[in-house]
Amino acid sequence: MTPIFGRHLARRTFLRGAGATLALPFLDAMRPAFAAAKGAAGRAPVRLSFVYVPNGIIMPDWKPAEEGSAYTFTRILKPLEPFREDLLVLSGLAHNNANDLGDGPGDHARAAACFLTGVHPKKTAGADIRNGVSADQIVAEALASQTRLPSMELGCEESRTVGNCDSGYSCAYTNSISWRAATTPMPPETNPRLAFERLFGDTDNADPATRARRARERTSILDVVADRSRELMGRLGASDRRKLDEYQYAVREIERQIQQAEKDPRQVVPPIEKPAGIPETFAEYLRRMYELQVVAFQADLTRVATLMVGREGSLQSYPEIGVPDPHHPLTHHQNNPEWVEKVTRINVHHLELFAHFVSRLKATKDGDGTLLDHSMVVYGSAIADGNKHTHEALPVLLAGRGGGAIKSGRHVAYTKQIPLTNLYLTLLDRMGVRPETIGDSTGRIEHLADI
Amino acid sequence: MRPSPRCATLFLPLLLAGGTLDADSSAPAGDADSAAAPFIARNCRMCHNAVLKNAGLDFDAHPLPASLAASPEIWEKVVEKLQTRQMPPPPMPRPDPVQTDAVVRWIQTELESVEATRPPDPGRVTARRLNRTEYDNTVRDLLGVTLRPGDSFPHDDAGYGFDNIGDVLSVSPVLLEKYLKAAEQVSRAALLGPDPQKPSLTRLQPMGAKIEPSTTVPAEYDETGLSLPNALHVLHRFPVDAEYLFRIVPSGSRPSGSEPVKVAVFLDGEQIQVVEVDPGEGPSSSSFQQDLTGKTREFRARVTAGEHWVAASVLRLYEGLPALYGGPNPSRLPMPAPPPFRPPENATPEKLAEARQRYEARLAQKWPVNEAKVRHIELIGPYEAAAGASPESLRKVYACGHLDGAHGRECPRLILTDLARRAYRRPVTEADLRPLLRLAETSRKRGESFAQGIALALRAILVSPDFLFRIETGPAVAAGEGVQKIGPYELASRLSYFLWASMPDEELFRSAEDGTLPDPTVLAAQVRRMLKDPRARALVEAFGGQWLQFRALESVSPDRDRFPTFENNLRFSMRRESELFLESVIREDRSILDLLDGKYSFLNERLAQHYGIPGVKGQEFRRVDLAGTPRGGVLTQGSVLTVSSYSTRTSPVLRGKWVLDNLLAAPPPDPPAGVPRLDESTVGVGRSLRQQMEAHRSNVTCAACHVRMDPLGFGLENFDAIGAWRTEDAKFPIDATGALPDGRTFNGPMELEAVLRQDRDAFTRAATEKLLTYALGRGLERHDRATVKAIARRVAEGDYRFSVLVMEIAQSLPFRMRKGDGGPS
Repeated sequence: MTPIFGRHLARRTFLRGAGATLALPFLDAMRPAFAAAKGAAGRAPVRLSFVYVPNGIIMPDWKPAEEGSAYTFTRILKPLEPFREDLLVLSGLAHNNANDLGDGPGDHARAAACFLTGVHPKKTAGADIRNGVSADQIVAEALASQTRLPSMELGCEESRTVGNCDSGYSCAYTNSISWRAATTPMPPETNPRLAFERLFGDTDNADPATRARRARERTSILDVVADRSRELMGRLGASDRRKLDEYQYAVREIERQIQQAEKDPRQVVPPIEKPAGIPETFAEYLRRMYELQVVAFQADLTRVATLMVGREGSLQSYPEIGVPDPHHPLTHHQNNPEWVEKVTRINVHHLELFAHFVSRLKATKDGDGTLLDHSMVVYGSAIADGNKHTHEALPVLLAGRGGGAIKSGRHVAYTKQIPLTNLYLTLLDRMGVRPETIGDSTGRIEHLADI
Repeated sequence: MRPSPRCATLFLPLLLAGGTLDADSSAPAGDADSAAAPFIARNCRMCHNAVLKNAGLDFDAHPLPASLAASPEIWEKVVEKLQTRQMPPPPMPRPDPVQTDAVVRWIQTELESVEATRPPDPGRVTARRLNRTEYDNTVRDLLGVTLRPGDSFPHDDAGYGFDNIGDVLSVSPVLLEKYLKAAEQVSRAALLGPDPQKPSLTRLQPMGAKIEPSTTVPAEYDETGLSLPNALHVLHRFPVDAEYLFRIVPSGSRPSGSEPVKVAVFLDGEQIQVVEVDPGEGPSSSSFQQDLTGKTREFRARVTAGEHWVAASVLRLYEGLPALYGGPNPSRLPMPAPPPFRPPENATPEKLAEARQRYEARLAQKWPVNEAKVRHIELIGPYEAAAGASPESLRKVYACGHLDGAHGRECPRLILTDLARRAYRRPVTEADLRPLLRLAETSRKRGESFAQGIALALRAILVSPDFLFRIETGPAVAAGEGVQKIGPYELASRLSYFLWASMPDEELFRSAEDGTLPDPTVLAAQVRRMLKDPRARALVEAFGGQWLQFRALESVSPDRDRFPTFENNLRFSMRRESELFLESVIREDRSILDLLDGKYSFLNERLAQHYGIPGVKGQEFRRVDLAGTPRGGVLTQGSVLTVSSYSTRTSPVLRGKWVLDNLLAAPPPDPPAGVPRLDESTVGVGRSLRQQMEAHRSNVTCAACHVRMDPLGFGLENFDAIGAWRTEDAKFPIDATGALPDGRTFNGPMELEAVLRQDRDAFTRAATEKLLTYALGRGLERHDRATVKAIARRVAEGDYRFSVLVMEIAQSLPFRMRKGDGGPS
């Protein structure tokens, strides 16, 4: 795509002045939000983040040889070595429901669909898609009343496709990891500018009077259309009703967000410059998206985020690191050493950028610690070996200490193939959200908080 | 279904032992009725029986003729597999083709008569949300506002190859938020003018082609510079009508003593400014060359809102050079004094002579003459934006006629009735109006202006489900029963969104209001009118761009090392060619078969240069006769050839699949799991790409599908991954021969197209299926089969003209009727 840079001249001068004064007053402004968090008054809330990488990983260069706390960082994990103490490397987790189970080809679609849901998605390229609710959305729903935005979905690959997606599976499966309901994917926002605007609004005058008027007007408008849609529902057939139901849900959700924003009257000054669009290089693009997550967490605008580094089956090429070939075909390397090397380079590149994210979280003060202390960031994929499309012994990392709930700094190798959803159940528990099951989960996972 | 070698290996010993499986050609060919069941028993049951159940198919459970009515979908698949000779798979003995065809014909006839006994089923379309394109176009036609808020909506999910499929389009809270914001922007722009924007800077720096430095001046070259790699081409959407500051930033060097370089800037092909850059001004790093880098020039120009093709090029690149280069109009500037000879200190006479020699050589050396280029453009603005609502918007909004703002008491009702009627695409009731009037009233009570009150009501209209969705309601009927006629207003919307991707216009509304639209004569007249309207361009962009997939050109990125000449001018020109070509078929009402092999196209200099076609000069597109060239039809256009390749090489499989999917409506089944990957490192090294693909044919499992796909792609192998003609790939000569499973062979693209033309009926059915899917906004089902066949037949009778296809679709059962959906429960 055509690289376009932009600088909002006026905004820059405004921010340069404001930037220096952000640290202290900013924190004070955050107090009211913390007061509503679970746990002791004033204690920083726990944030949950999921980062998904597509097409699998070269596992021999990922999995450390040793277990415990004195493991050696492998080539792919090396960029995270400075954060050993904040990291858990988890081996032996699996997503059985991403296997074909009789449905034939389509591992990429199943992998993405299954990653946060633990559900075997329905094989269809048409309108009757069916998956499950994803872990991030379960939390988002539970915490909805506490932050302005229930969750944030980001991605670094445009989800538009012309043609098929994966062997008879709809593009909805490969393009999202977040699912609000079994039939409703939450496609990621791929434009940093629009993601920024969602967090901070897009009017230059964010003064309370204008915001209040806008909120009042929107509420009146939503009342009118909500009434109308209720009336319409009564006259529609089944399939049309389903469409209108989505619309009604959206109306209710926006109304809720307006009310939520009224309870949180902080004038949040964005601590970063507004991105103009999609940056020129992939590295800058991904860094920009990570930064948006950091500021969203920092300002407590949301506590749940997902990021797709690429859609499953991604064809992204990485000429900047000497890999001009499309990603997906490379991962079917048939053990050709040159291609394996190229895929490893991509894996390392992704991890270097993830390390940037971790370091920003660690450098950001949050209450009585850092954002990293209070976060749980899962990095991984639902495909381990991209060549053979395996869905067990998955590559999974957990960065952050979850507010003290996680004992980091180790490589934990589970001996049986434990469902990855068990990890999610455990993480959700730390956030005070306790569903019975998530997808194929069989219980909580061990060894997260103890040796 | 894919063939399993397991079955073949079971029976191979039998075959080798001269077993009892022989193709029995003794059954009388005419007695197909009794021949079908034994045929199946002889040729199919050995693998597809209750025990083996290959691919889940068991003919024991589906005896003829009863299962034809019970499970027609199985028999359709049987027909497909037999016709394409995929079944029985090698090494099973092939039955006599005459017999096979007779059986196929019998099955097809029986299936047709089964279908004929079923009541006609027009299917149902789910409530269709406006997609991005439709939203933008509708807002433009409703309010005269040319902002395109759809650009910031999430991409629409596609289904069946198109992004306007009702079942697939959904509404999420994020999207509704964007609709709310868009409604605010649009209604403000319509009533009060676009929001003032602070000027900001945008840098346009696309990846350019590589320039090979050269010291010689060519005899002939493009003096406008637009088709040279030194130019910069970019598509940019200007937010509002306003003045913009263009800052041109060149780079590269000229030999010392050259005259200033002229850079021309073009907007949509028209030159809007020329700036001069003097490489001699200011310091340069070498005495022999003068540097252009960073010597920016600026000017202001007024640009209208919308997407524009911005280009900047070096005019007359090879003029103004020092005389010693022998170029036209050499520089009249004095050559700068050569740097003095600085002999090395304490040099021996030999060393001195050597140094002197080097110095003389350096003086006589020639420097690259073709490096001056445009590096990037900075656009700063908008300045002096047109303020206030446009006259067109005011006319569209103020139905009461008081454009000057002197409104009477009845005006709110008049205005909102008209706006709602057009926005909801149907007559408006008191129940529709009441909340809108109330909103406007509340705004007035708060002291806001008349325009603000109307704007608030308009915002509600623009996020109402009546606007965002095309919902077709009808009288309550029992579930799955009954067929209803589409009402006149709903028909008007179907027509306008089909042909214009936008709302109906006043004439369509009138014919809906007086109830005449459903009349076939009136309908036909409207279709003809609509096809001539400029808004029919949407068919080219939205339908064509997705069917032929040239929309995907936006995101292809051919490998820079292998294809150093690929840049934006070529990218945009490829797309333009395909758009103009499809448009010519539509506007001139040509035969759709021209899409297969029409011997003409639309080229500009850059594209003609790329195709190796001489005599086309200039950036503008013009019709070119392709007689005598190996090109013609969409298959040989750069757009199709590029989107069906990888970034580093061609793929006969991708291209074959493209043809099967888009031109023959015979998509291959998905590949089985665990397909071994092509060894990319040895492509073109030990063996050619084609030779390596022989693995497809030698492996029985692969062959069944690849015998259909690969030959089609091989026929196009003379075109590389960006559509340029070649006779060699690495060091291997191109072998563009192909053989289809039915025995037909061809050599090269023209013969391939001739073969496809023989399959004109399959192509016509494919084109019908695609356009019908797009027109209806739903995938096609079995019950649509009869409709497709009937339309295709009538198109053939109508000389395959495009207007016949459109007319037949507009008059067809699924377009005019709807199946009852069970109504409210």
